[in-house]
Amino acid sequence: MAKIRDMIPAFELFQPTTVGDALELLDEHRGQAWVLAGGLDSFDWFKDRVKRPSAVVDLGGISELTGIRDVEDGIEIGAMTSLTEIERDERVRSGFSVLADAARHVATPQIRNQGTLGGNVSQDTRCWYYRSGWPCYRAGGNTCYAAAPQAMNREHCIMGRSRCVAVNPSDTAPALIAVDAKMVVESNGGSTVHDAEDFFIGPAIDITRMTVMKSQDLLTRIHIPARWADADFYYEKIRDRGSWDFQLVSVAAAFRKSEGKIEEARISVNGVAPFPVRLDAVERLVQGTSGDESTASAAGELAIQGARPLRHNDYKVAMMRNLVRRAVRSVS
Amino acid sequence: MDQAESVSVLEKKYSRRTFIKGVIATGATASSAGYLFRGSPLLGAATYQTATERLITLNVNGQERRVDVLPHETLAMTLRYKLGLTGTKLGCDRAECGACTVLIDGVSQYGCSMLTHQVRGRSVATIEGLEDADTGELSVVQKAVMEEGGFQCAFCAPGFIMAMTEMIEVNPNPTREEARLALSGNLCRCADYDKILTCAMRAAELARSV
Amino acid sequence: MAERLVGADIAPPDLHAKITGRARYAEDFRAPGMVFAKLLLSPMPHARVRRVDASRALAMEGVIDILRADEVPSRDGPREACLTDTPRYEGEPILAVAAVDEETAAAAIEAIEIDFEPLPFVIDPLESLRPGGPNAYVDGNQFSGQDGWSDFKWTNTDFAKVDAGEMPDPSCPVEWTKGDPESAFAESALVLEETIVHQSLTHHPMEPRSNMAYWEGETLHAFVSTQSSQQTKFALAGALQIDPENINLVSEYCGGGFGSKIAGTTVMQIPALFSRKINRPVMLRITRYEENYVGRARPGFQTWLKMGFLQDGKCNAIDLIIVQESGPYGAGDFNTAGMIADLTYTPQNMRFRGVSMYTNTPPKAAQRGPGGAQIISMMEPILEKAGRELGVDRFEIHRMNAPRGDVQFGPRNATLTSVHAVEALDQGREMFDWDAKLAISGKRNGSKVTGVGIGLSPYTAGSRGRDGMMIIRPDGKLYVHQGIGNLGTHSIADTARPAAELLGYNWKDVEIVWGNSARAYPRSTVQAGSQTTTAHTRANHAAATDALRKIREVAAAALGGSASSYSVDSGRVSGPGGTMTLGRIAERAIAMGGEYSGEVLPDDVHAQTVPAAQILAGEGLMGIARDNYGGEGNIYSWVAGFAMVELDEETGMVELKEYVGVTDCGTVIHPRSLGAQVFGGSIQGMGMAMTQRWVFDPQWGVPFANRFYTARPPGFLDIPADLKWGAVGIPDPQDPVGAKGIGEPPVGAGAAALTSAIADAMGGRCVCRTPLTPDVLLAEIEGRPMYGRLEQHVG
Repeated sequence: MAKIRDMIPAFELFQPTTVGDALELLDEHRGQAWVLAGGLDSFDWFKDRVKRPSAVVDLGGISELTGIRDVEDGIEIGAMTSLTEIERDERVRSGFSVLADAARHVATPQIRNQGTLGGNVSQDTRCWYYRSGWPCYRAGGNTCYAAAPQAMNREHCIMGRSRCVAVNPSDTAPALIAVDAKMVVESNGGSTVHDAEDFFIGPAIDITRMTVMKSQDLLTRIHIPARWADADFYYEKIRDRGSWDFQLVSVAAAFRKSEGKIEEARISVNGVAPFPVRLDAVERLVQGTSGDESTASAAGELAIQGARPLRHNDYKVAMMRNLVRRAVRSVS
Repeated sequence: MDQAESVSVLEKKYSRRTFIKGVIATGATASSAGYLFRGSPLLGAATYQTATERLITLNVNGQERRVDVLPHETLAMTLRYKLGLTGTKLGCDRAECGACTVLIDGVSQYGCSMLTHQVRGRSVATIEGLEDADTGELSVVQKAVMEEGGFQCAFCAPGFIMAMTEMIEVNPNPTREEARLALSGNLCRCADYDKILTCAMRAAELARSV
Repeated sequence: MAERLVGADIAPPDLHAKITGRARYAEDFRAPGMVFAKLLLSPMPHARVRRVDASRALAMEGVIDILRADEVPSRDGPREACLTDTPRYEGEPILAVAAVDEETAAAAIEAIEIDFEPLPFVIDPLESLRPGGPNAYVDGNQFSGQDGWSDFKWTNTDFAKVDAGEMPDPSCPVEWTKGDPESAFAESALVLEETIVHQSLTHHPMEPRSNMAYWEGETLHAFVSTQSSQQTKFALAGALQIDPENINLVSEYCGGGFGSKIAGTTVMQIPALFSRKINRPVMLRITRYEENYVGRARPGFQTWLKMGFLQDGKCNAIDLIIVQESGPYGAGDFNTAGMIADLTYTPQNMRFRGVSMYTNTPPKAAQRGPGGAQIISMMEPILEKAGRELGVDRFEIHRMNAPRGDVQFGPRNATLTSVHAVEALDQGREMFDWDAKLAISGKRNGSKVTGVGIGLSPYTAGSRGRDGMMIIRPDGKLYVHQGIGNLGTHSIADTARPAAELLGYNWKDVEIVWGNSARAYPRSTVQAGSQTTTAHTRANHAAATDALRKIREVAAAALGGSASSYSVDSGRVSGPGGTMTLGRIAERAIAMGGEYSGEVLPDDVHAQTVPAAQILAGEGLMGIARDNYGGEGNIYSWVAGFAMVELDEETGMVELKEYVGVTDCGTVIHPRSLGAQVFGGSIQGMGMAMTQRWVFDPQWGVPFANRFYTARPPGFLDIPADLKWGAVGIPDPQDPVGAKGIGEPPVGAGAAALTSAIADAMGGRCVCRTPLTPDVLLAEIEGRPMYGRLEQHVG
């Protein structure tokens, strides 16, 4: 069969108005239905004719999935809330600026207007071998083209690989880990709450998925507990271009301080592994320090322990080390 | 067919067939007449048991347009190939260049990367709708571009102008830095960015003085 | 008094259409019964089609027909056909299918069974130069029309040096020497030797090369995306082997070309041939993905450079070897690069060696400043390095090496019509405040280091024109018939302005006629290589001069007195016998006939102009002439670019803080447009040096970074919010108007100012490759470079 990378093949479009209807549809079309949020990842797959679902469930008409609400313990963000709304929301900006910052770094204004928080954390990897439709492990094949000796892999991972060396592309993912967000996943069988850091999974767990969600699951809400509100936050994303670019490496961090000392920290890095990495060891290391230069340096070195670069991404080791160092340094 | 056969003959011969074929291809929704006007015309009003209606009404540039739309058809394709609104350009068809930028309920989005069925019941504004429909008077953004001589090849212009139209609403008094952030979803390969930015600043100025 | 048109800003006459959505680019045209073609692209870099079974596709409802390679014109050797059964790069079109809609056509492509026999391929030209290395063609890697194919290799000795990181001493098909480089190097106070890689990158104009065509009897109506109009009609006629007068070529707007659509495109043949076969209008919408393959690219260079300097900073010798990655169908950049190196640094002693290597990568073509942009972006930082090492101010080292009016360059000692590179540098120094900036060079702010640099970039900027043709109709307006194209540079209007000024016209009374060959174009220059502003301004000036003579003669005949005593102003001609409107003059010219109304044409106009003039003959007073102004020497323009950057040593990120570009391009016809060209070209150069890239997997021979977000052309946030430009403004003495072109030279200036400034921020260390992306710079800062010094297609 010859290949062409143009025109969306036909599918049946469903536009439910309630979560219940959506879940029922996903259940009914188990494995065949595609969940459409903002669509910016989905349409690429469709137009490239690489992913060809027979049914598409558009969540755009479900009003209960949008909006940012105050809840007893923090705030709750509907999965279909646009990135623009998150970027502009006063509660997010003042209480959890790291998330607003991360949202602001996504692609372009138009994409943030259309793209959703749920879609941003659920998007597939941007490995160009995989996205070009090559039959790699992640696509159900039996090789990884990106890890081959001559492969072009400057944007691939330096840790956490398991057959696949792709990275998670989400800008908001590390920020959600930094604020200890809880991801509410519903299916026809009920709902499950996952810590953000567990929501994202690596190829060792399931090489065909980026998150815990299976085909009949729906991410409905993201709960951000009050515990990390107004912490000292740090966000930085390194990318080749100032707009429409995924991270080479990004870091999101939250620090609770008392009398000039770090009481508690949460630090996450993306772009270095198939999933956003939480740096528990670094968090422990910086505890009780002032984030001084020597702690920052030690933190950077600790962060990259065990890193195994591929042929063309050795630079990511230094970039990760330096970003973690900067995040810690920001405290002092 | 003889080469001398004129184009108008071609039209009679084929446009009818194309249309019929299109309807047949709808499968389950071919009998869409039964579904028409069911429920509210708002987005998502169709219950999930039924697949989407094909013949829908779109609000484009303030006008109600009836159009036959495939479930998997993008807005840019509907505008360009069904409604004759070719001002909306396809530069990449992948949400990367902004040439297809349109306003959905006043918000800029990439027309190439949304389904037409997702904008049922919402207002779609394209470059063709910016002039005053009665007088032909240009919008303030268009006036600003005329004054400042913006754009080179201008394939990106419709998208940029739509983004500027949104910008002056959202931020009527931008700095150059803010304007450039607001327009960063649009690519100009002639790299006429400096002049485009000057146009955007002038547009904001004109809008404030109205 | 009529207004001054030269030197004033105007809104181009097509701007209203462009900003209201009315402007029709090729894909905006429709024809009744129009069907859609889609392409099947080669999935491998070099192959032979063994078998095609389209039966399933052809049986599909709505599928009309298939167009195969044996139905399209082709020639032997490394020459491109619009469809081929022996693809030489991944993405080369194999066949086309037409269907009633795009979706059906796409599904039909998928339904085609096709088998390929994979053939050996080469992506990196050095591999093909290696003894025993693969070739891009089965029959060899060099081709000449006389001798056919040959297998050209360097020796093992050459490669022993290459592999040891030394400059080899290879034989090359192109080789020239002037002066005595060997002795000169012996006298040099400083000799710098570098290995440099310049990337290959796609043009990516905003408008992909979509096009549509249909036939009415013997007449082909072709709606194409092209930089040039008149010449594209003839190029298409040549390709299809039909009479040019049977083509109605429509090209009202072109969404950018940058050298990739000079006389149209290869794929424009497909709808023309397909619609002839199936008797229906055929639209071929080219996607961005397809544009990546068929849309042309700048050739990459792998280069060894040896530069000698005297104690005072004067470059006294250059030894330059360029291996060019030329794709399957060749390119000429490397030759120009050698010429430009000699011109820019005036060494007096130079050896140039170059070889163009066929590769199985998408086709190469001129890309804005072809050859010049690459060599300047590579050599300027080396020049500044010499300044640093010799203790010579970096501005001064540019200035002392820049050519003066008496320069002779290249193997045949070419001369220039005018050169004011020094003046451009001086003006830029002031606008940029170089001296103050130099004081903060190397200054640190946390992990960020400031760097400043200069790029001086020349390029050819004109040629002698072909024919000009204009007509004053009884409505009194001046209609300038433009056979050049409308690709966004505003030259469609600007080349008419000196002519209109000569005829005393106010701009509102001037109509530009373009976009459709039925509207009559004279033989015109191609719209490429920055030629248009010079060439077609001259041609129009000649035609206006002819019109002016005729106006005066008609007036004298009508009113009495001598023709020379009449003058024109604001639509009237006045003299001793009184005054008349030019509308009345046009009526009288029609009545007088002969040369006045264009019934009789000058003997020397080009043959292609004659049928066009015959369309207009008798409709008014015709000004028509060949450009006979002559001139000696090459026409070159210059841009001096000055950049300030901040390099973050912890991330490798470079932020461009300030940029100033000053040009020497003669008389300034349209200041605002000129500024836009200086900035636009400079930013394209910055993209080439810093953000844009193309990446090939060497094992499979296929390109990645084939979309905008991976190819990364610069966006709004990659350039400063404020840029400055200036112009020296000294007219070229050999030109009736004094204007020179501007499209090409800013690319090298923008790129080189950036590569120089980055080297400065790196403490003087040159990272001799493009693009200088954060990974490359950070790896260098860390002392762990990731790429081999000669590795191409990475980044």
